[in-house]
Amino acid sequence: MELDRRNFIKFFAGGVGGTLLTPLPWKLIDDIAIWTQNWSWVPIPARGKISQVDTVCTLCPGACGITVKKVGDRVVKIEGREDFPVNRGVICPLGMAGQQILYNEGIRWKAPMKSVGERGSNRWKEISWEEAIDTVSARIRGLRESGNPAKLAAIDGNQSRSSMALLIRRLLDAVGSPNYITLPGHEDTYAMAQLLMQGSDGSMALDLENSDFVLSFGCGLLDGWGAPGRILSTWAEWVSRAPQARTFVVQIDPMASDTAMKAGLWIAPFPGTEAALALGIAHVLVKEKLYHREFIENHTFGFREFSKVVLEKYAPADVEKITGVERGLISQVARRFAGAQAPIAIAGRGKGDLPGSLYEQMAVHALNALRGRINKSGGVLAADPIPLSEWPEVARDSVAREGLDKARIDGAGTPRYPFARSLIHHFSESISSGSPIDTLLVSSANPIHTLPDSRGLAEALKAVPFIVSLSPFMDETSLMADMILPDHTHLEKMTDIVWPIGLQYPFYALSRPVVRPLYSTRHSGDVIIELAKKIGGSVAGSFQWENFEEAIKQRAKGLFDSGMGESSLGGSVPVWKRLEKATGQGNAPSSFSSMWEELKASGCWYAPSHSFGQWAEIFRTPTGKFEFYSSSINAVLQGGLEGGSLDDRLKEMGIVARGDAVYMPHYEEAGSGADKEGYPLVLFPVELINLASGWIANPPFLNKTLFDYQLKGGDLFVEMNPKTAGQYGLSEGSRIILRSTRGELRARIHLFKGAMPGVVFIPVGLGHTAYDRYLKGKGVNPYEIIEGVEDPLSGQPVWWNTRVKVIKA
Amino acid sequence: METGQQQERKTKRDGWIFFAVGLIVALVVGWVVFPLLLYSEQRQPLNYSHVKHGPESGVGLECEECHYFHEDGSFSGIPGLSKCKECHEDPKSLYTDSPEEVKLLKAFVESDREIPWLVYSRQPDCVYFPHVAHVKMGEIECKVCHGDFASNDTLPAYKVNRLTKYSIDIWGRNIAGYKRNTWDRMKMDDCAECHTREAKEQNNACFVCHK
Repeated sequence: MELDRRNFIKFFAGGVGGTLLTPLPWKLIDDIAIWTQNWSWVPIPARGKISQVDTVCTLCPGACGITVKKVGDRVVKIEGREDFPVNRGVICPLGMAGQQILYNEGIRWKAPMKSVGERGSNRWKEISWEEAIDTVSARIRGLRESGNPAKLAAIDGNQSRSSMALLIRRLLDAVGSPNYITLPGHEDTYAMAQLLMQGSDGSMALDLENSDFVLSFGCGLLDGWGAPGRILSTWAEWVSRAPQARTFVVQIDPMASDTAMKAGLWIAPFPGTEAALALGIAHVLVKEKLYHREFIENHTFGFREFSKVVLEKYAPADVEKITGVERGLISQVARRFAGAQAPIAIAGRGKGDLPGSLYEQMAVHALNALRGRINKSGGVLAADPIPLSEWPEVARDSVAREGLDKARIDGAGTPRYPFARSLIHHFSESISSGSPIDTLLVSSANPIHTLPDSRGLAEALKAVPFIVSLSPFMDETSLMADMILPDHTHLEKMTDIVWPIGLQYPFYALSRPVVRPLYSTRHSGDVIIELAKKIGGSVAGSFQWENFEEAIKQRAKGLFDSGMGESSLGGSVPVWKRLEKATGQGNAPSSFSSMWEELKASGCWYAPSHSFGQWAEIFRTPTGKFEFYSSSINAVLQGGLEGGSLDDRLKEMGIVARGDAVYMPHYEEAGSGADKEGYPLVLFPVELINLASGWIANPPFLNKTLFDYQLKGGDLFVEMNPKTAGQYGLSEGSRIILRSTRGELRARIHLFKGAMPGVVFIPVGLGHTAYDRYLKGKGVNPYEIIEGVEDPLSGQPVWWNTRVKVIKA
Repeated sequence: METGQQQERKTKRDGWIFFAVGLIVALVVGWVVFPLLLYSEQRQPLNYSHVKHGPESGVGLECEECHYFHEDGSFSGIPGLSKCKECHEDPKSLYTDSPEEVKLLKAFVESDREIPWLVYSRQPDCVYFPHVAHVKMGEIECKVCHGDFASNDTLPAYKVNRLTKYSIDIWGRNIAGYKRNTWDRMKMDDCAECHTREAKEQNNACFVCHK
């Protein structure tokens, strides 16, 4: 017996055979698969007590109620609160991914920082909070001492009615600077149209839930428009009704967006021609006498002039030429709109995060007026004021008063831009010609990335001597700052949202901290108060609060004093159903302190009642009526002439129309610095619900939801109709260069039959040059090459039809 | 002298012996050595006796007094030290002469330290298992999955798979994965088997447990 080669093989064969008869290989295969679950780099949440905290998401002005689930101290999941009146259980993908905004340490500032070396070189030194606050307050004090308080400016992205925005505005007011700059959104366009047609400056109040016919001029209702949680749950409500009572949505959109595909009817006009379409519909309503006679006769001004213009210029056949929408369809939509019980017409492209065209908003709103849909159930409501207390009057010393008398550097409110509150793109123009600003505060905003023509602003900011960022994130704008005073993120702080965008009843939302701050960050509200105290003098006198919570609380006291409204939740009837009957469900709190506790716990106060109709009272225009013909535009244009001709004035304002049309809704072709021959296509930025495009950058969770025909590696795909692509010899995946008069971007092509020929659709939200590896260098930012020509009258940038040329790369 | 034929037969026989030895060695390794190598054994920090505390004992605790549902429907699992301290609150007073009780008082109650129990039935993190759906809604008895712990006087040794780090009770104590009782194994197939048997096949969809 010897172990030769043969026998060894036999021994081995026996071993193999025997092994196969034992559980060893099978068990090992299973175990190895399970072993992968325990690799050290596979994230597993810590074990701990499971708990949940109800609060409000403040990532956008939508104010969705959220339940934050925690294991120990760790946030693990965010869900919508079904008891919360605004969103009724629904939240958007960004809200769901909120914990990645908290925990993604690669994008957060962890302590106050000072730029060292050349600014923008991303070299930083950590400093103490004392040093940070001392430096900034000394600088502002210096401006005041030298008599230049107006050299302080702020760019503020907080919701305009929120306490945070009011506080920053108050700081500038007390210091003596008029240069408080906000980021424009569709709400601004809406507010301007309301001012011109109704004389009111109330919040956007759309009674969508009670509407049975929604004529949406480009509003991406399912793409993140307005308060996304509320709109999505409203959509669910619409489609859950019995077939004959189901709300019919007409989506007017140049692309088969998610909203268009789910709508009852999709109409695709050429980008930027929506006003003409609205007026074409108005033409049919007027011509066929389908308007609300009582409202028109008794409560409107200028109907005769308006009907003359629409009858002359906007016959469906003419509108077809402008918009490309077939004339029969225009008449059909007009008749359906007129035939509906509770129709509503709304405007605001995409998510409504950027401003729209003022004349277009007026044209759309004119449709509501024609059908008497103002302050009617299911229509556009006259917003009831929200009874918050006013803070004490700002104490202005002589320095502040002098500073405030200076003109704003962005020209908003001047005769050239009479209705604009803030024009950030002018801000960049005026800075680039030698900075009139010394110190710039930036809060809750990343304008370098989120504004049309962002390259211009990035250049301009280089000229500002000292930039202070309050951002919690290492975003593009904060990387250009001299000093970072980092704020908490939304789950770490208390803050408020006053009237979530578009909601139809007064609503006050209050978030609360869900976790202790992870890093050495400070609430920007507290920081502003501290700064004011350090600046001293009358500025300190205007900030008598211990901290931001005290300031919020002081404002909220008005809610209690008004004796109206509720903070309790859990009623089975949704608030939108209760508005007409005004049925209360909760017991009124006995004291403000008990109400404050209730408010902190529920996260909201709301007034579930509304006085519908009241047409004789609600219009605050000079005529006391709804104005098709705006006497405010008339007064402003005629008033500011001072010898110059009206024609010159209109030319200066970019208004092409002449005659009565100037004062009324009408269609203006958006101008462009580019010729159609050289730049034959139109670039249309598209906002997606699963791609954050505002100040908050896209969290990694959401990157995962993008298809590889939207983003692949670092390549962003633009959508083109196969016909258009064919003309340029492009096929699926082709690499291209998009060129506008402002610059070039590289992208790839995705062919989509739902894209209008002649238009290039480009997703917004990517193309970051800051942040971490999940965002930096992924895709391109269309705003870099947006022309940003001015919308006539409003002066806001037009971002939806930049002319481009496509070059095969 | 052996003939060539004899020689050949012998070589063949030797070959079979080598084959058999290989086979036997492999079988021993696979059935005996492998399980010994795969699992490490740990003792529970304390030998809790269910028998001495349970309904039949002098103490007379009902199962639900320690293993109960929270108001929100989540399951308490193994009780914390605070539950033990409801009776064993004084580190100096003993109910019995059991060394385990001495250990409880000395090592945990006195220092107010939680007992680091080793959980036999801990599922991987990727598994979502709600007790309430099974025990309350499905009316399944505890022992269907956990075995009859109530009659245990000594806690079984906790064996942990060196590779996967999970308890042996998930795969089952039989290395071949052979099971006789419902509680012998807690793998996904066992969940599915019961779901199917109880006409709850829709709950075999991935997302029901792997959220």
